[in-house]
Amino acid sequence: MSNTFNINRFGKILKHDGLNFFPNMILTLAILWAIPVVIWLSNSLTPTESIIDPDFRVGIISVLALIIILLVPGRLYKHCNDPRKGIVFAMLPATSFEKFFSMVFYCLIVTPLIYLAGAFIIDTILALMGGTFEGYAITKAFWWSPLFRKSTYPVLTAITFAFIPVTTSSIFMFGNMVFKKRKTGKMIGILILIHIIFSIIFTNVAFIYPDLIEFFTDLNYEIGWKYILNIALYSQIIVSALLLWGTYRKIKTQKY
Amino acid sequence: MIKINNLDFAYKNTQVFKNISLEFQKGNIYGLLGENGVGKTTLLKLICGLQKPQHGSVTVDGLTPSMRQPELLQNVYFLPEEVITEDTTPEKFIQKIGCFYPRYDFALFNKLMGELEVDLSKKFNELSHGQKKKALLACAMSLQTDYLFLDEPTNGLDIPSKALFRQVISRYCSNETTIIISTHQVKDVENLIDPIVILDKDDVLMNASFAEITDKIYFEYGPERIQNAYYTEMLPGGYINVMPNTEHLESNVNIEALFNAVMKNKETIKNLMK
Repeated sequence: MSNTFNINRFGKILKHDGLNFFPNMILTLAILWAIPVVIWLSNSLTPTESIIDPDFRVGIISVLALIIILLVPGRLYKHCNDPRKGIVFAMLPATSFEKFFSMVFYCLIVTPLIYLAGAFIIDTILALMGGTFEGYAITKAFWWSPLFRKSTYPVLTAITFAFIPVTTSSIFMFGNMVFKKRKTGKMIGILILIHIIFSIIFTNVAFIYPDLIEFFTDLNYEIGWKYILNIALYSQIIVSALLLWGTYRKIKTQKY
Repeated sequence: MIKINNLDFAYKNTQVFKNISLEFQKGNIYGLLGENGVGKTTLLKLICGLQKPQHGSVTVDGLTPSMRQPELLQNVYFLPEEVITEDTTPEKFIQKIGCFYPRYDFALFNKLMGELEVDLSKKFNELSHGQKKKALLACAMSLQTDYLFLDEPTNGLDIPSKALFRQVISRYCSNETTIIISTHQVKDVENLIDPIVILDKDDVLMNASFAEITDKIYFEYGPERIQNAYYTEMLPGGYINVMPNTEHLESNVNIEALFNAVMKNKETIKNLMK
């Protein structure tokens, strides 16, 4: 029996976590799926009946997908580091790697996919019903998004944006293992704090080194965009890798 | 076999164990006794790998529990004192975790639930504290692990349930299973446990079978208080005296009296039992 990964055992842990999935997630999914319906209903009932284009709806669905990504670790793996309630999770006969991999699978793959599938089906049904939803959101999502197609660097842009859910998920999975209570709220607080600190640092850097700012402002727009995309991509890769490693280590060494 | 060698363990600034060594042989039902706060639960957590020793080693069948290897985890089950359960029925709970354990027996689970008189249709949240404990005991026993660790299993059980608990443990545990029952309610586990481990702050005062105990310690029930006894207690109809068994007489262990005797004569009895 492998000490790190065994496919049979992994199947069992996937089944175990899967049985927890619907009871813990269905309400959250239903609320997020209902939001476009509420928009459609409220807009259809108002006298103006302004048209909501698919790009805007893709934007809403993307934001809601990010929200579910940040919520899922705290819902599905809420108790896994609890000194008392977490004992069942810790003592499940599977390796820490299998438990971690299952966590990643449900937080980063299963939940967003289920949400997106449902959201695009609902959007399509609402569009077919007529009213204020023009076109279909699915036709403007993912690779078909104008954000990627009209970019000078479509592949780099797509990869960079694809990493946003990975980074978000890794941040909140790590937070879920570090904090015992109010996990999601604390992580959002920390992210706001980091944002403020970085803003202060960059403002000061701009003040102290005006030449650096000039360098960026003098850059050609397209080259500047490439710089930004590269910085965003590599920083996301580094942050995600570190936090995923941290989550794995926490699962492995968590004391109860 | 569980081997503990030169174990040191502390929570932040509170030392719990200092250089203790201990062995638990296979196939026995151990009673782990000690005053509140001596580290009974901590010792069970160290054996299960829920805590890691700061120094020394803990091994179960040659494996290190803190590594949390599936080979070991599928052979151990820890039932904590505090009953914490999911919003599900005991049946769904055991079906969810049972597949991880090679000897898990669902028929045995149903049988145990029946014998312990727990309502199968109710969710954990709808059961009383005692019913939850019994349901979790049925879950734990149906997994048929080699090692079963029960932390204060009779706390919160009513008198008939305590009898059912003893009955179920003695009837359904195989001779290969090692059970460690941590308790301070010794009367509840009398006639069930053998050997006995008595923990003290930073120390193990005793780890002996009933045969070893009665070989060296004599329990006399009589009308008089004996002067040089380790411990004497007045009972209805006389006294129980715990004293050295210099004449190799046969007697029955009174666990409560033994515990009190050990607590009053720590070094003397520790040296006697070496």
